[in-house]
Amino acid sequence: MEFKDYYKILGVDEAADDKAIKSAYRKLARQYHPDVSTENQAEEKFKEVTEAYEVLKSPEKRAEYDELRKYGQGGRFQPPPGWQSAGGGDGYYEGDFSEFFSSIFGNRGGDAGFGGFQRGAGGGRSYAIKGEDIETELPIFLEDTLSEESKTIEYHLPQVDAQGRRVKVAKTLKVKIPAGVSDGERIRLKNQGGPGYNGGANGDLYLRIRLVPHPLFDVQGHNLLVTVPIAPWEAVLGAKIVVPTLEGKVNITVPANSQAGQKLRIKGKGLQTKTGRADLFAVLKIVVPASSDAAAQAQWQALQEASQFNPRADWQ
Amino acid sequence: MTEQIIYFSLEQFSQQVPLAPEHIVEIVHLGIVEPAGREQRNWQFDIDMLATARQAWRLHRQLEIDWPGVALAMQLLQQIDDLKRENERLRAQLRRFIVID
Repeated sequence: MEFKDYYKILGVDEAADDKAIKSAYRKLARQYHPDVSTENQAEEKFKEVTEAYEVLKSPEKRAEYDELRKYGQGGRFQPPPGWQSAGGGDGYYEGDFSEFFSSIFGNRGGDAGFGGFQRGAGGGRSYAIKGEDIETELPIFLEDTLSEESKTIEYHLPQVDAQGRRVKVAKTLKVKIPAGVSDGERIRLKNQGGPGYNGGANGDLYLRIRLVPHPLFDVQGHNLLVTVPIAPWEAVLGAKIVVPTLEGKVNITVPANSQAGQKLRIKGKGLQTKTGRADLFAVLKIVVPASSDAAAQAQWQALQEASQFNPRADWQ
Repeated sequence: MTEQIIYFSLEQFSQQVPLAPEHIVEIVHLGIVEPAGREQRNWQFDIDMLATARQAWRLHRQLEIDWPGVALAMQLLQQIDDLKRENERLRAQLRRFIVID
């Protein structure tokens, strides 16, 4: 396995004191924290930094690591035969640390998991612990939000294998997505998360709905917008046109003297809400033919000569 | 099996996050999560609040920010998220009318 140089990861010297290590960690944690960072692979980097800090902040772990570091400078790393970690394990894996870390420190996670809770007396190894909750994004097409849909989803569950290593296992599940879900909404699937430990319940699976951008429709709250191209004469004279909706087409009337950007409401053709259906708005976009023949040009010319219209009147 | 609307009491919520009740009370008082119900014993938390409280706890623990600092950070993160979404939405709409980079 790959040797991890925790000093290099934190950007500190081998002789760095606790204060320097803490300060380096704080700076990098802010930079890569997945809740805050916009950097590429922030999550991976954050895990690395956290793991490095987990080891270097503890005098006991740091001493163990320094000892082993002598063997691993070449890049690939094997713990020396008969290597026994000085500390005991907690019997379940809490931090999301690398294979390298667990090969040295066994299943000893950090103090990361329980906010102000006691972890059980005397390093107890048999208390039941609920499995990890998993959150994953679920992309949904707008069309599929109108009625209840069955979807097969695939996600990864963290598990601890026979060697005590943390692995990800793919799992598929058929789920019913209720009608009327909206962007960002969460759905819980009880007990479909990570496995419990020592008889504890499984964690839950949370699906976060993400509406997939549609080639025709834009979402505004629960309303939909569809941009409708019309000819200049349709804008001036008015027209009856056919507009697509999420389910089939509807006929609408463009009133005479319509402007570009004007919105026409089509009632009840928006997204499903808890109480009914929102609306669809047709947004008019006036388009001009890419080219016109001599006859058409003559007609435009006649129109220009007859018209008093000044589109830039407001500028004066 | 699919559940959309679930409410947790303070105790259940505290176990779900997991975060000790006194910390939950603190993040409620700071407005990080706003449960339904006026009295503490009637508080009801939903699953979005669970995600929010977990994020608050991550920021508190992993970045060593105190709770009022977490409240401020989360408010700003929410504003950034809202602005990003609004920007994406407006750009998508604008792209239907004009060519933008």
